[in-house]
Amino acid sequence: MIMSDKIKPDQANPAPGEAAPEQVPDWLGNRLRRMFNDVMQEPVPDEFKALLKQLEDKERGS
Amino acid sequence: MAGSDPFLDQITALLPALRAFGRSLCGDPARADDLVQDTVLKAWTNRQQFQTGSNLKAWLFTILRNCYYSELRHRKFEVEDPDGISASQLAVSPDHDAKLQLRDMSRALQQLPIDQREALVLVCATGLSYEEAAAVCQVAVGTIKSRIARARDRLVELLGDDAAQVVEPGSPLGQVDSTTTTGHTTRRTRAS
Repeated sequence: MIMSDKIKPDQANPAPGEAAPEQVPDWLGNRLRRMFNDVMQEPVPDEFKALLKQLEDKERGS
Repeated sequence: MAGSDPFLDQITALLPALRAFGRSLCGDPARADDLVQDTVLKAWTNRQQFQTGSNLKAWLFTILRNCYYSELRHRKFEVEDPDGISASQLAVSPDHDAKLQLRDMSRALQQLPIDQREALVLVCATGLSYEEAAAVCQVAVGTIKSRIARARDRLVELLGDDAAQVVEPGSPLGQVDSTTTTGHTTRRTRAS
């Protein structure tokens, strides 16, 4: 169940025929994405909603 | 909830990515959330500068990165965290291999120089292109690539070659987060 297995870090600039020198091995790329996605899955703390609401209210008020 | 301001709605949608990017940069959940709050405020104040149609995510990452760097300049005594102490706080529930792996990953990441860390995260984790990452970091694409190469070499060194042989855990992490993220949600950002 590794969804991102196929996504290569060099997706932006695939160098056809040869491995790009900056290529990151799959296991490392997968782990980085998993670490990142782990945080993305967290519920956003309420204080952010409060902040955005405050901004929106201010906008309406002005 | 349904904000009528489309700009704020888009920012709201990008909050998870901003929090993740902030945490990758500084390694500390509470501090990262402070950075995200600053970012949202700055983005709102400067929203006229954002060109509709361009990449809002990259724009917000740029702001967050600037916030982080200016914070670093003001907190020199805390600039680096060579022992990965704050990164270790990322370990929420090291009750299975996947979590341990992520903790090791986070620690290793925090041992990289910041310029390598941000390049690697931007391209390999956030999904920005090399060009977008270069714009965020205000360097050439070639610089981003060489930073990524150096970051990769160092991480392979830190995490070991055998990491390649470790069978990735079968548990779909995308589904287990409700049980593993509660530690973070109780953390409050510092009042600023």
